[in-house]
Amino acid sequence: MFRSGAGGLRLTEAGFAWLLALPVLIGIGLVVVVPLAYSLWLSFTDVNLLRAAGPALEAFGIRLPLYRWVGLKNYLQVFDDPLYWSSLWRTLYFVGAFVAEATVVGMAMALVLNERFHGRAVMRSLLLVPWSLSRIVVGLLWVGILDFEFGALNGLLHRAGLIDSYIAFFKNGFSALNVLVSVYMWNQAPFATLLFLAGMQSISEDLYTAAEVDGAGYWQRFHHITLPALRPILFLVLVLCTVNGFLMLDLIYILTMGGPAYDTTTISWLGFQTSFKFFKFGPGTAILYTLTALCLLVTLIYHRLILARFEAEG
Amino acid sequence: MLYGLVAMVTLWLAGPFVWLFVTSVSYQKHLMARPLSFIPPEITLDNYRMITGLMRFHAEGQAAKILPSMWNTLVVAAVVSAVNLVLGTTAGYAYARFRFPLKMFSLFALLFTRMLPTVVLVPAFFVIFRAFGLQNTLTGLVIAYCSFTLPFTVWIMKAYFETVPADLDKSALVDGCNRFQAYYKIVLPVSGPGLVAGGAFTFMLCWNEFVVAQVLNTKPGTTTLPPVIAGMNGQINVDYSVIAASGFLGALPAVLLVLIFQKYMVQGLTAGSVKG
Repeated sequence: MFRSGAGGLRLTEAGFAWLLALPVLIGIGLVVVVPLAYSLWLSFTDVNLLRAAGPALEAFGIRLPLYRWVGLKNYLQVFDDPLYWSSLWRTLYFVGAFVAEATVVGMAMALVLNERFHGRAVMRSLLLVPWSLSRIVVGLLWVGILDFEFGALNGLLHRAGLIDSYIAFFKNGFSALNVLVSVYMWNQAPFATLLFLAGMQSISEDLYTAAEVDGAGYWQRFHHITLPALRPILFLVLVLCTVNGFLMLDLIYILTMGGPAYDTTTISWLGFQTSFKFFKFGPGTAILYTLTALCLLVTLIYHRLILARFEAEG
Repeated sequence: MLYGLVAMVTLWLAGPFVWLFVTSVSYQKHLMARPLSFIPPEITLDNYRMITGLMRFHAEGQAAKILPSMWNTLVVAAVVSAVNLVLGTTAGYAYARFRFPLKMFSLFALLFTRMLPTVVLVPAFFVIFRAFGLQNTLTGLVIAYCSFTLPFTVWIMKAYFETVPADLDKSALVDGCNRFQAYYKIVLPVSGPGLVAGGAFTFMLCWNEFVVAQVLNTKPGTTTLPPVIAGMNGQINVDYSVIAASGFLGALPAVLLVLIFQKYMVQGLTAGSVKG
């Protein structure tokens, strides 16, 4: 940081910095803050997409409808719906299971890839494959593995003589939900692995050598050296996974459409369907706003973590 | 033991994607056969011929949308990446180098938008774009995509510029550059890896985005690839092998991009995330 310099110089410095940052901040204001505020407004109104009349903001020949203010009606209607609550519990189960799986598998892959072996660089590139696929493709390729008629996993189990007939993974609601968790984990865990690996590389080799001299086994070294050093990253992974878990939507679209019945309907899916299948934007935005509140809650924890890091850095 | 574990991880990471490719060059009847043979008895490019319009089949209407939608995706992803690199990089530089009023506040605001569910913005985009005539346009998608890419780019670039020694700009100032020249003549030319990381990441996010495109661009010919592939999957009586071909074709550009630039992307992403 430039601490030195006369008062006048620092002012121009701040002015210059503002000039550089301003375009993005204006951009974010227009493409994030405005729609976010408008969505919030919509959640308190009686949106009817077909009716053009009613109150509106008009400027430069553009007419942005404001619809009729109904207060908390949409929220009360949403909270009155048992489907909302069952979706919420299902979401919490989904997020919990996803965070656990992604963290454990992500850590396990990091431990393997942190060892020395031939082709380690290639393996680290492979990590990026599941992560760089569109979730639509992720869903499709897991259909190819799990399908009732042509799934490769079914084919494998069948060939090995472990099953007599192919398993319908998506027929039972709870099984379908857990398949969603695992498929999403396949897509997301590699990113956790990347973060863990970055953390592991910053741990001094001497610590391990010393521990080895003292007779510490592999798991003791993991428990007493690796895990404590990775704590900030572990926390970051937990938070990122939690938020990503709440947001997951596209895999449901491609794999289960929220079914069978409502057994894989999460809050984000319920909000998406209410908004864009039934075009009930009022209740739909209300549901999506409760989702936003949940994410905000998680972000606040994240915020505190980063604040602590900023202070530590000085 | 170690190589056993490595083999397991390899199979877990690459196996499903390799299988997608195998199914895409197989005949459906061989995929349905029991016992399933993991090496296809017959290899065919028919599935790719069908989705590229070289071979007629019963769902060719949906398949005919694949190549145009791929072009749309390319245009949107390229424009969003360019916008992100220009705007996000300058802001990232400001955040990495200078102290200014409301810096922390605006930084946390960016962080907050990064954690926001994009889907909550979509109903608003829907109504606003209708009012502005941006529904079913690529411009609309570019605007919507900036909402979830810009905060990431700023963050990645900020983390990158923090690794560029500040003495570089200081000596440029001493040599008579003004602040802006120091940034774009001295710092920017040595920031290739950061720009690659930010650009490739933005491109990948846009290339893969589904929900926004699915909802906002419903008119035929205006949407991007993921909704078209999802539409193939939604049609009854389209063989999985054909869908797999479209999925593999659609996935390939992003996967190649990420693999080519993986070194920079891993650096940029881990720095951006670890720092916050």
